[in-house]
Amino acid sequence: MPLKIIVGIKWVPNTTSVNIDPKTGTLIREGIPSVVNPHDLTAVEMALKLKDRYGGTVTAISMAPPSALAGLEHVIGMGVDRGILASDRAFAGADTLATSYVLSKVIEKIGEYDLIIMGHETIDSSTAHIGAQVASWLRLPYVYYAVDIEYNEQDRSIIVRRMLENAYETYKVYLPAVVSIAMHTYEPRRVKVSNKLRAKTEDVIQVWTSKDLDIDINCAGLRGSPTVVSAIDFVPKVPRKNLVFKERDPKKAAKWLIDQLIQEGLLEL
Amino acid sequence: MKHIEKRFDAIVVGAGPAGATAAYQLAKMGYKTLLLERGRTPGSKSMFGGRVYIRPLKDIYEDFEKKAPIHRWVKKERISLVYDESATTIEYTSNKTTSFTTYLTQLSHWMANQAVEQGAILLTEIRVDRLYKEDGRYRGVVVEDEVVKSDVVIDAEGINRLLLEREGIVEKLSPDHVALGVKEVIKLEPDTINNLFGLDNNEGLSWILMGDVTDGIPGGAFIYTNRDSVSLGIVVLLGEAARRIDRHIYILVEELRNHPLLYKYFKDGRIMEYSTHLIPEDPSRLMPKKLYYDGLMIVGDAAGLLLNQGYTYRGVDFAAYSGYIAAKAYEKAHGNGGASEENLKIYQKMLEESFVMKMLRKFSSVSRLMKKERLFSTYPQLINLLASKLMHIEYDSYKLKEAFDEARKGRVGLIHIIKDLWEVSRKL
Ligand SMILES: Cc1cc2nc3c(=O)[nH]c(=O)nc-3n(C[C@H](O)[C@H](O)[C@H](O)COP(=O)(O)OP(=O)(O)OC[C@H]3O[C@@H](n4cnc5c(N)ncnc54)[C@H](O)[C@@H]3O)c2cc1C
Ligand SMILES: Cc1cc2nc3c(=O)[nH]c(=O)nc-3n(C[C@H](O)[C@H](O)[C@H](O)COP(=O)(O)OP(=O)(O)OC[C@H]3O[C@@H](n4cnc5c(N)ncnc54)[C@H](O)[C@@H]3O)c2cc1C
Repeated sequence: MPLKIIVGIKWVPNTTSVNIDPKTGTLIREGIPSVVNPHDLTAVEMALKLKDRYGGTVTAISMAPPSALAGLEHVIGMGVDRGILASDRAFAGADTLATSYVLSKVIEKIGEYDLIIMGHETIDSSTAHIGAQVASWLRLPYVYYAVDIEYNEQDRSIIVRRMLENAYETYKVYLPAVVSIAMHTYEPRRVKVSNKLRAKTEDVIQVWTSKDLDIDINCAGLRGSPTVVSAIDFVPKVPRKNLVFKERDPKKAAKWLIDQLIQEGLLEL
Repeated sequence: MKHIEKRFDAIVVGAGPAGATAAYQLAKMGYKTLLLERGRTPGSKSMFGGRVYIRPLKDIYEDFEKKAPIHRWVKKERISLVYDESATTIEYTSNKTTSFTTYLTQLSHWMANQAVEQGAILLTEIRVDRLYKEDGRYRGVVVEDEVVKSDVVIDAEGINRLLLEREGIVEKLSPDHVALGVKEVIKLEPDTINNLFGLDNNEGLSWILMGDVTDGIPGGAFIYTNRDSVSLGIVVLLGEAARRIDRHIYILVEELRNHPLLYKYFKDGRIMEYSTHLIPEDPSRLMPKKLYYDGLMIVGDAAGLLLNQGYTYRGVDFAAYSGYIAAKAYEKAHGNGGASEENLKIYQKMLEESFVMKMLRKFSSVSRLMKKERLFSTYPQLINLLASKLMHIEYDSYKLKEAFDEARKGRVGLIHIIKDLWEVSRKL
């Protein structure tokens, strides 16, 4: 039996340009172009590799504002079959609990699935909660830090290799299950023009609001979020000297640099 | 090679002002149009100085001035000749204006969105690898191992014309036919910008500097005020720059920003963006022999359609207008039975009759001025020396003629000055 895979992708501000509001301590997300969380592209790549190898379908899901349609189009361009965007004002302001709740409701509504794949973590919040929480809501087994998945059709299980600091663990897990893929494990493939055309011209993306889902509205969005950020402390700035050697002679430059390092007590000769 | 089933009337390669406008007009006339852009968003790979002339764009886009991303209306124009730490400046201020500042990324994005609103399909992050030919006619594009087909292809790939080179339609760019632009965008609060440059809200400044701003390399520097940032950059002849600079090119903008005359404007700003881009210096030499082939039209920078007026560029309005004309030409060709070479000839004809080609012909010798060293070193020096004689008064004061003679002594002969003046006034 081919695999029915669901991948979670998050639409995140491109954090290379994110600023923090010094007064409120919150992220300024406004006006910053968003991208698909890069580690989720790794997850998508894993899903597509499994599809290539074993056949099946890949559905991408995201809870995000409507602009995330562009992110779903992107992963469909890579080869994902269809996308579902959970988007509703009632979902705004969610902490990880409320996010994972809505995502698990989306997955329940999709109904048929064997494997749920998530990214390692996001670049804008990096809690790495969502995979574990979705697994909890759905009462499924969960493996984190996966680098490799093999599928065994006979007994509908997967063999997952999981990376630890200095070892690999191998698990056999019966499906359905949730797996998060370790970041940088795979290079995401490029989009294909035929797939992108499909994303634009065929109805492969659906938008679901709270009305489409069987949810308790008090568990979603701000209302469903018990976590409160009570304070943000900035990492103190380390004072740095800024010295520039202006001549062009590399020999002199090297000598100068070594002298500086000795002076700073960083180097002994 | 996989052939994609869906077929288009037109495929436009590149969503800069030329391509986006061609796609907009084609879609508006009801043609099935596909607009392909290799950047993440339309315009994300584009860069320009900062000012756009609006008149031609108003012919193309309805309510352009109300809807387009216009930052400030240029109401103050400055041209400075710089020598050492002094500058002599002409400033023209008027409440009338025909141009505005913007980010090219925003403008291209806006234009591409107009195309999408008219029904064009825009795909980003798609790099066309080559044009697709069937029986000797252009009939689509190749992206990796896939072919998308169309009745006509519009090449709007900009100045770095890899596709056209591959087809043997143009030659590889020579460093002596292009200039290099290097630019920083510096973030400043709108009020700060207004105060620094003496502007009201929505009023913009265009400031061109020549002389000691490019390390003596032929070229110039520019400053444009955007809504809440200032664009600052230089344009130098690429060949000369390569011969004369042995450091990284960004040093030139860095030095410009820290120039004693300019430092005060930017010291509180934050650098938001750094970019470089090529620009046709001598458009006439970059223009392909013809701009239409069987199933293919070439528009914008790819066609060398950029006007260098010496003190200003007209790239965006020319590019957009050529895209617009190409779309109109396709409509005519379509009516005559298809996009054959014979039928697309009308594109070149319409272009020749428009202001685009007329202006390009009129200003065709400006680029030769760029090769005149004196204009970039001797004259800025001369004028500033003259000004300093007249203005820096201690005991004795100078009369104009006296100051002038002293300033040019040993630098340049009177005959040369007269000849150069004549030449500049004819070519510019
Ligand atoms: C205390 C707190 C308060 C917050 N308040 C707000 C707020 O007011 N407004 C706001 O916008 N955000 C807020 N957030 C952020 C938001 O809750 C999280 O970004 C979100 O729940 C996902 O968590 P994460 O980014 O850490 O994902 P991780 O758990 O690090 O992500 C792991 C993987 O889960 C999947 N995933 C994560 N999020 C999604 C998603 N939305 N759709 C599909 N798949 C997903 C991806 O595959 C991802 O790689 C808050 C977070 C916290 C901790
Ligand atoms: C330093 C500098 C300053 C300038 N200042 C001004 C100014 O102040 N005012 C003005 O009017 N003009 C100015 N110009 C000129 C102006 O920017 C150009 O003339 C104008 O952008 C040309 O538009 P275009 O659409 O032809 O090309 P571009 O704007 O270059 O767009 C080409 C597009 O095609 C895409 N592309 C290329 N190859 C492919 C491919 N194979 N597949 C898919 N997509 C592809 C590119 O990513 C790009 O988006 C300046 C230029 C420079 C470099």
